[in-house]
This record gives sequence, C-alpha cells and structure tokens, in this order.
Amino acid sequence: MPQNRKKLIDLLIGNLSNSIVHEILEKAIEDESISARYNKELMISLNLAKKYRERINPVSSPLPAKDIGHIKNKTRAKVRSELLLRISKGYKNINLELVEELVNNAIKILKIV
Amino acid sequence: MELIARISKGTKMDQVYIPKNRPGLTTGSYVIIKPIETKSQTKKLNLYNVKQIEPIKMDIASKIIEAIDQFTNQNIIISGSFLDKGFNFNDIDIIIINENKLDINQIQRIIEKELGIKTHIIQLDNKALINGLQTDPLYKMLLSKCIAKKRFIYKTKNKINYKILDLHLLKSKILIDNFDFLSGNEKYYLMRNLIAIALFLQNKEINKEKVDKEIIKTFDLESIDQIKQNLLEKNKFLKRYKTIYKQLFDKIMKNASK
Repeated sequence: MPQNRKKLIDLLIGNLSNSIVHEILEKAIEDESISARYNKELMISLNLAKKYRERINPVSSPLPAKDIGHIKNKTRAKVRSELLLRISKGYKNINLELVEELVNNAIKILKIV
Repeated sequence: MELIARISKGTKMDQVYIPKNRPGLTTGSYVIIKPIETKSQTKKLNLYNVKQIEPIKMDIASKIIEAIDQFTNQNIIISGSFLDKGFNFNDIDIIIINENKLDINQIQRIIEKELGIKTHIIQLDNKALINGLQTDPLYKMLLSKCIAKKRFIYKTKNKINYKILDLHLLKSKILIDNFDFLSGNEKYYLMRNLIAIALFLQNKEINKEKVDKEIIKTFDLESIDQIKQNLLEKNKFLKRYKTIYKQLFDKIMKNASK
C-alpha cells in the first residue's frame, strides 16, 4: 500500500519536526526548570514518530536511501521554517545550527538509518 | 511478655529467632508478629482541592511520602490522574521540591520495589516551582489539585511569557495531524493543554474542573468521557480545534518579541 506508506512517512516527519522544534525552542528560552518540568510531555511527539516508524517497512533495518533522503530533507525544511517564522517575529537565541545535528540524532534513534 | 527480634532471611522461608530460655511464649503457641513503629506517627498530609479520595490512595500517598522522606526533609507533592476518582492511572506524578539534586532513579526503584507502583518524579527547587506556577498553565492546573507533605502557596499571579506559551502550544499541534492515531487519553491531554493556555491568556482561574468545563463548552460535548473513549466526531471537532489553535498561535506570535 504505497499511499499508506507515504502517509505514515509524512506523519513521522511531522512528529519528528515537532519534537526537534520543541527541543530548540526549549534551549532558546534558557529556563532550566522547563526541561525538568517537561521531560515526560516532550516524549509524546517522539513516541508518535516511533509508532509510525514501527509501521514502515523495513521495520528492523534502515530505510532505503531514497526514503532517508526524503525524511531528512523534509524534516530539516519543516524545522527551519518553524524556527525562521519565530525569528522573524523577534525571537532571540534560536540556534539554527542545531537543526542538522538534532535531525541526524533523531533519525538514528528511530532506526531510519 | 514481649520480645523484640529481627526477621532473618531463610532459604525457603524467612524466620524470627527468639531465645530458647524465655518466660512464656511456649513452643506451639500462636503469636502475632508486627513491625515496631520506628517512625513517628503518620504525619497529616495537606490536601488541595482533593474533595474525595479513596482511603487506599491516601495510604499509598503516605507510604510514598515516607519513602521519599528518607532522602529529603523538604516538600513532596503528589498530583495528576492518581487523584482522580477510580484507578485509571498509569503512574503517579510526584514533584520533589529540593534545593539539591537527588538520585531520582534510586527513589523510583525503591518505591517500585516497596509499593509495586510506577512513578514519574521530577525535582524542582522552590524558585522553579513558583516560576512554573506563574508562567505555565498546565502546571497551574496540575498543582491546583494535589497532596503535599508541607503546605505551599499554589495560587500565584499569572506571568505571561509568550515564548513559554509557544512551547506549550506546540505540543497541542500534533492532535491536528495525528487525530486518527491518538488514543482518547492522549487527545484529552492535548485538548486540556490547549484550553488551559486559552484560559491562562484570559487571566482566568485554572483548575481541572474549570478546564474540563471549558472543553465541554468549546467543543459542544456531552462529557469528557466522549474524548477519553475516543468518540469525537472528527471533522466537526478538528474544524473547531484548528480555529482555536490558530487564534492562540497568532496571539502568541504577535506578542512573541515581548
């Protein structure tokens, strides 16, 4: 079911981006207590992404190179666009350099690569 | 006669050894074994907006606080779904107010071993607790109903920090795209977050009952169970949800630089 697979990959990307944006914004706020308070809630997006990953074949080995490229590029673009919107509204301390590193870490956690 | 003895570990059964030469307690007689009270009488706990709670839960709360008391003499707060009616909770939310970092994993292990209960523990210092109560709608709601070892001021003046609200609102975004894949409880959590933010921005009082009432009113529901049992009418619900999300997002973005 290629359409279903495409939908699952899109959902995975959405949740992955959301959790990365959250992590970068959290760092930008520089309030240490935020991360202490939210370690449980923060996991929702990532857990959802994991659920979707478990439904995309191959489940236990890395995805095909084409999918990896697509997921990386789309996640990166989504995260950047969310962050740039906030920068344009006057947010400070948003570190765009973290995007690449966090995307790479997340796709490893989800066994996409 | 009374004897004090220690329980020792045996291969198949544990045992209590008592001296062979003793007045009374003859072999074959039945005795009661009970622990010596080493701790002071169970301290009275402070209940905030907990109108009704099952006695067994009070007992669990006391035991949890006793277990954590070995590590800190500061405040311990129990909150979350554990305090709701019934036994529909996955773990128990505990907040330890402590100025120094404690080994949370060790405390979790001890409670799980002694009481067989999973806990979700966070530790904050007093400043972080007050800051959370002032700036964080969900925290305000969570702590509006709790059991605490010591008294604390949970009613604080709201301090609107749009960046923090943006962070909170972001969590609720996932409901829009993931409606079909979320459980009823997950949906309820995300809606509660959204509505708590809306009430916070209107400087309204936030507690679980008020947020639930507002959810029912806003989404034209019969009860909260409709969400928890995953019986929402998708199209109608999402249309309303998206509108509220967008309104809040626009308001937060408009004030983001403040």
